[in-house]
Amino acid sequence: MSTPGTLQTIWVLVRYWVKGRFTKTTLFGLLIGEAFSMIFILFGGSTFLSFSNRVGLGTGLSEVAGSLFLAFYLIGLIQSGFNGSGLPVSSSDVDYVFTSPVPPRVVFAAKVLLNSLTTVLVGFPPIFVLYLRFASFYHTPWSTAVLAGLVTLVFLVIGLLLSADITLSLGSGLGKRRKLWRNLFILLVLVLSLLPVTLLIPGIPAGIADVTRILPNGLAATIGVGLVSGASGTLAYLVDLLLLFVWLGGFLMLGIRLSRGHFYELLEVSAPGVEKIDRATETSRLNPRGKSVWSVVRLKERIMISRTREARALFINALFLSGFLVIYALSGSFQSSPTSFLFILFVIGSFGSGTATRWIEKERLWILKTSAVSMRRYVKEVYRARVAPLLLYLTPVTVAVGVPLILSQLAQPSLLLGIILALPGALEIAAVTMAGGMYFASKYGQSAADDILSSQSQELVDIKRFLFQTTISLIMVSPLMLLVLSSEPLAVFFGSASLLLLAAILLTVSIVFTGLILNFLLNRAGDAVSKREDL
Amino acid sequence: MVEILIEKLTKRYGDLVALDNASLQISSGEVFGLLGPNGAGKSTLLKTLVGILKPTSGTVRVDGYDIVQDPEKAKKIIGYLPENPSLYTGLTTQEFLQFVGKIRGVDDDRLDQEISESLKSFSLEEKRNSLIGSLSKGMKQKVAIIATSLHRPEVLVLDEPLTALDPKTRASVKEWIASQTKRGVTTILSTHDLDVAQTHANRIGIIDRGKIIAIGGIESLRKMANAEIDARLEDVFLRLTAESGEEPSKT
Repeated sequence: MSTPGTLQTIWVLVRYWVKGRFTKTTLFGLLIGEAFSMIFILFGGSTFLSFSNRVGLGTGLSEVAGSLFLAFYLIGLIQSGFNGSGLPVSSSDVDYVFTSPVPPRVVFAAKVLLNSLTTVLVGFPPIFVLYLRFASFYHTPWSTAVLAGLVTLVFLVIGLLLSADITLSLGSGLGKRRKLWRNLFILLVLVLSLLPVTLLIPGIPAGIADVTRILPNGLAATIGVGLVSGASGTLAYLVDLLLLFVWLGGFLMLGIRLSRGHFYELLEVSAPGVEKIDRATETSRLNPRGKSVWSVVRLKERIMISRTREARALFINALFLSGFLVIYALSGSFQSSPTSFLFILFVIGSFGSGTATRWIEKERLWILKTSAVSMRRYVKEVYRARVAPLLLYLTPVTVAVGVPLILSQLAQPSLLLGIILALPGALEIAAVTMAGGMYFASKYGQSAADDILSSQSQELVDIKRFLFQTTISLIMVSPLMLLVLSSEPLAVFFGSASLLLLAAILLTVSIVFTGLILNFLLNRAGDAVSKREDL
Repeated sequence: MVEILIEKLTKRYGDLVALDNASLQISSGEVFGLLGPNGAGKSTLLKTLVGILKPTSGTVRVDGYDIVQDPEKAKKIIGYLPENPSLYTGLTTQEFLQFVGKIRGVDDDRLDQEISESLKSFSLEEKRNSLIGSLSKGMKQKVAIIATSLHRPEVLVLDEPLTALDPKTRASVKEWIASQTKRGVTTILSTHDLDVAQTHANRIGIIDRGKIIAIGGIESLRKMANAEIDARLEDVFLRLTAESGEEPSKT
């Protein structure tokens, strides 16, 4: 029996992991996903550029927005690092790689390499397209977009290494105080990333923008935007680049140091159909005594949401979004037209689909299908339990955005109508996309007990579902968005005297439409569960 | 051939003691049956033995190599069959076996030959290029067994190898265990199937609540349990595990 060298072993591990992960179907799915994200990024990027041009905020706003966007990624990775998912492993890795003579450090290196390769493959095309749009806007050569894309990729790899290092360090004293450290880390990234946004408020000293250059997200955004806007080339940018590589080298060295010993126990193993449970909340709270079937169903769902950390993730995301939007609104950036608000409205609204997409996997279909409950009603009750926290978190966000908007538009009633419609519209869109997510999960989601579909056919189903879901969600919410768009001409047409009546009518129309579409989607979801045979 | 030496092994998960000061010596070429109720600590013991878990205290030595101090050398001679083997479903049978063989350091030429022979002996030749995700549970178990023995291990650690298998697959797995025994491979066989333990094992150890409460051949276990001379292993097991709740037996 020969002993393969370190590099050879890393190559073998990465090669077979890639083979197992990227089948023809997954590559096809990846291509479709890439196409969608590129369209979305082009739309978002163009809206952002034309908006920042109109209000004359220049590249500073792009740097701040880029830094914030990357901070989202960093926070997600910090969280997963503290949850033990910084170095993602499957149960197959545990059974076959961890029991093999491959040293832990080689496993670490191979995992980091695989994750970096995947990130490069998935991340580069949309990032490049975004920077290309910026380069075309600022009339800089396309090669700057390539360089900016590469800098951002370096940042993405830094994030992966940070997450892996956090997980590996859980074996030390850090593990015992993981909550405290996690919250401190997140707070630090949030504060430092949000600080430059205060520049949008008049009177704040300009030097505060440099604070963001401490973190890798700020550095990557500054260098990237500097490259595509033609502002780079100064010594400061060179120092920024150097600092970025210092972060990369530092986290890499730390990871190599931490992966010397046995770290397998620190890793959260992902297994299909097995949700991660927050053990801290492990007390029995489901007391059915004196309660109706449906209140028990709702209570069970609420308990599951809280134990699987969904509610917490939703809360943190909403907190971050509201922080950003409050400062954005304070800057007076929404004042031009309610139509510019549509993009933000869509961002807030799309919160809904993500939380519902995989809910069916958390169900055990055999329990439902062998019970006497109505599937339509069951789905509706689950929806009620799931939509409540979503609206609870998003309402303060929309209020925070809406109050300064309404106050600033009091003099222009025709624009005010659009804003008044758009604010509940954001919540309605969130509610509709969540119901859509539940319908598609009911119809196409693979249950944990499903042994009929092979992994490949499930991948095909996932692609089909993704395509359908995105298209149908857009169709479902488009009347709500159209209502916002049409409000301004309608207000002008009917005059300011009948504005209140018009507002009441349009608001009623949007609420009735939302109610009908929710009922339709949830009935379809219930029927889809009834028809499933994969028990 | 090699021996396994486990000394004062303790494994804690926070306040939970999964293994409590467990000591065990398994001689070279011996088949050791490990019995215990669900949650007794069998899988924890085996996972610590194969290097997935790190002991809180105590030592595990395989052929003199400490699994914590010298894991690579120890792991080279161990073949592990998990309770519910999790195979890479996106790989074909051949790719999966090549992968496992490679990371276990099997030479390329020998690996191809080993894979072909094993697939033939388990009647899986037709599934060589099938995705593992599309195989039945029995077939997956056979593939897992092949993966366990590709590098011709000198120690086998088998965690519930017969659970939830159809009679035909069970027969072929039993046959495989017997063939390894004949080859003189030191084996730890964790099982709930008391007949299998009685048939294959030279000695049996009973673990309950993290403690090894009894070790010996069927005769000595009967004595420890104060059971009749012809008492079935099932009765002996039930009596010993019931007693351990009150006061552990000295072994």
